[in-house]
Amino acid sequence: MANKIHQTLVFLAILIVIATFVTLWFWGGDYYLLPLSEKFYHENHKILKSSGLIGHGLGIIGSVILTFGVVIYIVRKRVKRFQKVGKLKYWLEFHIFLATLGPLLILFHTAFRFGGIVSISFWSMVAVVASGVIGRYIYQLIPHNIDGNELSQSEISKLDFNLRITLQEKYKISTEIINKLEEATSNTNREIKISGLVLYIIRDTLHNRKQLKYINTFLHNANLSTEDKKEVLRLSKTKLSLSRKIVLLDTTRRLFGYWHVAHFPFAVIMFVIMIVHIVVAFTFGYKWIF
Amino acid sequence: MKNLFVKILFLVFISQFVYGQISPGDLSNAHKDLEGMSNCTKCHALGEKVENNKCLDCHKEIKATLIAASGFHGSADVKNKECIECHSDHFGRNFKMIKFDKDKFNHSKTKFELTGKHKVIKCEECHTSKFIKVEKLKEKSNTFLGLETNCESCHADFHQGTLSSKICSDCHNTEKWRPAPKFSHDKSKFKLLGSHKKVDCEKCHIKGMKKGKEFQKFTGLKFKQCLDCHKDIHKGKFGTNCEECHSVESFKNVKNIKSFDHSKTNFKLVGRHQNVTCNKCHTKGITLKLKYQRCSDCHSDFHKGEFKKKNKTDDCSVCHNENGFTPSLFTIANHEKAEFKLTGSHFAVPCNACHFVDEKWKFKFQAINCELCHTNIHKTSLNYTNGIIKNCESCHTTEKWNEIKFEHNKTKFALIGRHNNVLCSKCHFKDEKLKHQFVTVSTNCESCHTDKHAGQFIPKYQNDCSTCHSPESWKIENFDHSKTRFVLDGAHQKVKCAQCHKPIEKEGNKLIQYKFEDISCKSCHT
Repeated sequence: MANKIHQTLVFLAILIVIATFVTLWFWGGDYYLLPLSEKFYHENHKILKSSGLIGHGLGIIGSVILTFGVVIYIVRKRVKRFQKVGKLKYWLEFHIFLATLGPLLILFHTAFRFGGIVSISFWSMVAVVASGVIGRYIYQLIPHNIDGNELSQSEISKLDFNLRITLQEKYKISTEIINKLEEATSNTNREIKISGLVLYIIRDTLHNRKQLKYINTFLHNANLSTEDKKEVLRLSKTKLSLSRKIVLLDTTRRLFGYWHVAHFPFAVIMFVIMIVHIVVAFTFGYKWIF
Repeated sequence: MKNLFVKILFLVFISQFVYGQISPGDLSNAHKDLEGMSNCTKCHALGEKVENNKCLDCHKEIKATLIAASGFHGSADVKNKECIECHSDHFGRNFKMIKFDKDKFNHSKTKFELTGKHKVIKCEECHTSKFIKVEKLKEKSNTFLGLETNCESCHADFHQGTLSSKICSDCHNTEKWRPAPKFSHDKSKFKLLGSHKKVDCEKCHIKGMKKGKEFQKFTGLKFKQCLDCHKDIHKGKFGTNCEECHSVESFKNVKNIKSFDHSKTNFKLVGRHQNVTCNKCHTKGITLKLKYQRCSDCHSDFHKGEFKKKNKTDDCSVCHNENGFTPSLFTIANHEKAEFKLTGSHFAVPCNACHFVDEKWKFKFQAINCELCHTNIHKTSLNYTNGIIKNCESCHTTEKWNEIKFEHNKTKFALIGRHNNVLCSKCHFKDEKLKHQFVTVSTNCESCHTDKHAGQFIPKYQNDCSTCHSPESWKIENFDHSKTRFVLDGAHQKVKCAQCHKPIEKEGNKLIQYKFEDISCKSCHT
């Protein structure tokens, strides 16, 4: 049930982001698409411009959302007092949601002015978001427990072993097939370099497809109920994914470490620029509705 | 230490980003000199966005229009508006701070409504630096400022200051310069009356050049007299007051025609011309120039080209004058110069006797000879082939018909003796009166003379009167009696002729007997 609520909220979050984009684009798309030199003469320029009622509002709301999304995640992660509050995975997802919605609103606040020096603030924000997306993917490559905390090597091995047992004993999957699923782990003794990570993932994905096809063929002839077949397939996918994660564990951990180094400074730059931007705007009298 | 270096590097790195937040974008080309953080407050007031005063501190020309409430910026549409509402910046170098639809712009908001031709022309034709007087504005390309609303600020004074009014719109409107639609000639010192209204302006106000420019003179024109503009075709003969005869309606409408003194023209009316109505000659209007040098310019040639010589015709005045076509002025003296000179009785002959032929006057003849007028009564009675008689003049003169100058001696019958004293008619007018006989007349004596001898000498002496007679006299002077049958000798030689040749009566005719059948003595002597 909790899973369903989670899924619904995730869906809702995605829906909000998409709806926000569609609504704002539908309303001001023709303005935003105009070349910079033409924007001023658009009929909605007064409200959609960065200092306009809507444009400025979007900037302020977006900044608040973004700041809030970043701050609460940092607080949850860094402040001991809050480390027990909610699952970190959900906080991360909420962080991603707010750190997507906020920049989206800021994107519309910029009125799609990407040129010139001022765009650096935007691109720094884009860099933070993009690094966030990449970080989210790297994060996925590292096995986590249900709370979202990283698993140790032994915990992963244990998890993998449990999967093998389940498949063997519960669904009577032959050793031969299970070995196929573990092929990647058993065949890989070498360390995967960060530079070769993408290539490995592509190869592994293609390989895993083959394996799944093989399992599918097996399941087709196996004396199992449809539900069991589905479960076996799901477990097989999990096993394949886990196998990949085991292989890439060291590499991804190292990469994630690097990522933190990049994501954080980008975020700092973004916030510094944001603060300067806000100060300058206020200094020159751009106070929105205030 | 290492940490400090990283921090300094970081600050340097982000300082560029910070500047980015201060300038939201490149300034337009017009404001490019204001780029840079130190210039922000030249346009932006701290805490007050962009203030008009900041703009107007630089754009003094706009400030002036706002104060003067002139031009578009002085209009109600712009009044109380922020400059930034219409003229923003930080949209890049190519951003046009002034942008409006020139075709839809309501120019009347500038307090200079576009009318007439102003509506049609392009903005740039007026809004160009050459019409801007303020030097600073002149330098600005594409500016719409700096123009004045008076015509001469854009239009050159075509009149070059010669007109009393300096306000173009007193006479012109914006539809077109020519003709000046608002100009009323009635307001001028010379009101246009009659046909003057239809005359092209250029006719009086001549176009020319002045100071190297096209110029049309509208002032300083003489107009008190007609002759100030009009050429006096009469060359002063009628004075200078044209209006005595002409009106402004038309030169063709001549007034006071009855009192017109034609003698002042080149053609004085003389004789019968004085009684001719004007339109007889001036058929196409009284003022139309007529040819008058030759009579034929008006009169038709009664003689139908008879006097044409080498395609030229003598003027009628050679023979006629204004007092009438008749009598002709062609005198006998003139006739003397003609091909046919008058001589003798021809002097007394009236003109029409020769020149009025078949009810028509005729002056040109194919050939001039007597028979043209005179009837040849001789017809075939004369021999023209023998070289003695060629024409009438061989015998006749113009003095008298009767005076014959014929040389009879050239004929076979030379006039000798008493024949010289005989009238021609004695021999040539025979039988009937006026029946001439010439070639038919025999040279025999008896063809004219009566044989008094009652044929006594016939046949032996027929036509040979000369045996006894001579042309000098009928008297017998040379008769040689010895050649007869009866030779005179002795006493017979002393006997008078009549003693032997006695008158007798024979067959009723009284005659002297010359012929005797019997010549014996007893025939005379008893």
